[in-house]
Amino acid sequence: MNDGVAGRADAVLGLMRAAGVAGARARVESLRQMEGGWSRHIYALDIADPERDRELHRYVVRVRPQDSVLDTDLGQEYRIFEALAEEPIPVPAVHGYEGTEDTPFGGPFFIMDRIGGEAPNVWRPRDREALDRDWADRRSIAEDFVAALAAIHSVDLDRIGGIVTRDFRATVGHWRSIYEDVRLVRDPVVEEAFAWLLENEPEPIAPSLVHGDYRIGNCLVDDGHLTGVLDWELASVGDRRFDFGYMSLDYSAGRFVTAGSDRLGAVADQEWFDRRYEEISGLTIDRSVAQTYAVLGALMLFAIMGTGINLYASGKTSDIRTAWSRFVFPGLRRDIATTIGW
Amino acid sequence: MRDAARTKGSLDDFARSQLLSGYSIAGLLAAELAFADELLCRTRRRLVEELAAAPARRAAADRIEAAEDAGELGAVLGDLLAELRHGGDEPELRRRLLRVLAEMAQLELAALGGARPASQAA
Repeated sequence: MNDGVAGRADAVLGLMRAAGVAGARARVESLRQMEGGWSRHIYALDIADPERDRELHRYVVRVRPQDSVLDTDLGQEYRIFEALAEEPIPVPAVHGYEGTEDTPFGGPFFIMDRIGGEAPNVWRPRDREALDRDWADRRSIAEDFVAALAAIHSVDLDRIGGIVTRDFRATVGHWRSIYEDVRLVRDPVVEEAFAWLLENEPEPIAPSLVHGDYRIGNCLVDDGHLTGVLDWELASVGDRRFDFGYMSLDYSAGRFVTAGSDRLGAVADQEWFDRRYEEISGLTIDRSVAQTYAVLGALMLFAIMGTGINLYASGKTSDIRTAWSRFVFPGLRRDIATTIGW
Repeated sequence: MRDAARTKGSLDDFARSQLLSGYSIAGLLAAELAFADELLCRTRRRLVEELAAAPARRAAADRIEAAEDAGELGAVLGDLLAELRHGGDEPELRRRLLRVLAEMAQLELAALGGARPASQAA
């Protein structure tokens, strides 16, 4: 093991021993970086712990690197996972959070169980075909997908403290501020859409936990069932209708430059989804308001991907995926224009 | 991609994703470059057409016609739309200009997806 890996191994063992989930003789068998997002680095961690048993224990180390695309709070993610452990939402158990910046991973990190399953990639035809087969057959993925969202929106907010809270105008202002900081050229579609949002503010409803990036690609699926809802980086306390709007973007159904699925999020027919959500949660979905939030969701993507593009253009990252994401923008422009009705 | 080509043995997940992204970008850039000039000309022409019916907006039309690239065009159009939005007394002109943006968005997406936009004089 080289010095860098050894330092990381020591860091994770230290955290896990402090959390009481690793013994004195535990050792890291493997620690390798996985393909992950831009704001988080993900490592697969295997630990042998002879004081516990002969099994290899599998975990994930989730890191907010210093060159993170977005300045989001990893500690909040950890607190959400902790709080959701008692909820009917499949999330991995977490084991310790290190909040300091100067770590062997290059930033704060926490450790969670590595659970089975794969995250469907809706921009890959074979993954969409697998979701189509589930929809045509037992619909177990679709059922779990809607049930998890209903449960998320029903979480008692008194049980989860320290989560960023934003109303509609604050959310619009948040993403607009980021977009204007990072844009390389002006985009009149984006500017007009931000203005449109402020002219079309929905009537407020009682706040809920909002995932903020709810799509099947942020879920793990194993043998036709959701085993995990992940990537809570953009979660907040706010208007749950954001999750419906974001999910309804063609982008979320696998449209990149060519069409994706015609199902909601590539998972289920929208009418079916709405009916099941209402049956499970007792909460209603107002699709006209969801349309407003679809526009906001598209603008959020402009801000997030614009941040990555800016980092690449300025040489602060060599991750070419950040540059690639500019080709998402034409589809989002089309989504915005169509939704608003220009 | 050169680094990937020089790599001995298999690539790890991250390196593989970089290679695939690079490959994808090459194709998308080629498609974009193939239609960029045409799309700029067409969008500029359509905007000027719509502004022809608003003599008070002649200066904006001239700036749009003179815009040399999409960035410059976006800035000029952004300023004009903001002015129309705040002024509020030319809603039909604003609506027609937004319609041009919608057309542009559709054409841009179609071109990237492989279908060439219909060729028209710039």
